Amino acid sequence: MQSCACKVEFEFDNTADKLVSSLEYMLGQVKACLPKHANPDDILFRCKVIITELLTNAIKHAGKGNTRFDVEGDGAKLIIYKTDTGMPLYLVNTRNNAVPENNAENKRLISADPLSSLYANWESENHIRFTSEEGSLDDFLSVEQVAEHFGILIITNSSDEFTYTYNKKTRENIFRVRVDF
Amino acid sequence: MITIVKESPKYMIGEVTITEANLSNSDEFKAELVKLLDEHQKVLILDLQELKYVDSAFLGALVSALKYAISLKLDIVLAGLRNDIRDLIKLIRLDKVFKIYNYAEEASFAVNKM
Repeated sequence: MQSCACKVEFEFDNTADKLVSSLEYMLGQVKACLPKHANPDDILFRCKVIITELLTNAIKHAGKGNTRFDVEGDGAKLIIYKTDTGMPLYLVNTRNNAVPENNAENKRLISADPLSSLYANWESENHIRFTSEEGSLDDFLSVEQVAEHFGILIITNSSDEFTYTYNKKTRENIFRVRVDF
Repeated sequence: MITIVKESPKYMIGEVTITEANLSNSDEFKAELVKLLDEHQKVLILDLQELKYVDSAFLGALVSALKYAISLKLDIVLAGLRNDIRDLIKLIRLDKVFKIYNYAEEASFAVNKM
């Protein structure tokens, strides 16, 4: 296995008109990180949709100031971090603290339609891992049932792990996305 | 944003002329779709071959417009998608909701047979 290590930082100013140029810049950095054994088409597709959604999320939710992106790669995986100090994710402080950490009850359905179900799994008070499951098309009656918000689902389905952490001390929102090669 | 390039009694083909469809233009895009459906009352075949970048906001607008089309007993059919956009649609299973064809002409043939 080729040893490959890279670390890239990128500041995004949360403006929509720089979305595509920022995406292309970061994809270029990702491409440079790929080891020889990785499937470039698959990894670049997944990174393209993940970074697009993280940028879109920054424009919608990060507010004024910049959003920091960090991309770290080694021979086995790529990790993309998005960090901002905008409003915390709506799920913060909604965990049932009576339930112990890593208990199955800390898995909560946050959206569902006949196509997909999306879950938030509280791994600690302000650390959430997202997972999804395919829905049963037997329940599909009408297009009216289909959700219209796909950002978190797209990242969850494109990645090998997707987590959100709210750092109370620094008031930072940290999205972490892992893509295995 | 959408140019009607062909019409028949059952359908219209709309070429999407933008290359980037994201949250900065998704509301406007949806409004154009709704206007076309209202004015023409025909199945809309969207030729998306010019489109290179999309995000979840655009896909949400597309689903919302499809709901409106279905409420009018019409449809929105997709054609000419780049492979990566088609893969994105499959990733969140919207291929179970939209009829998707390689080319607009192929879509028009299928709509005529409905």
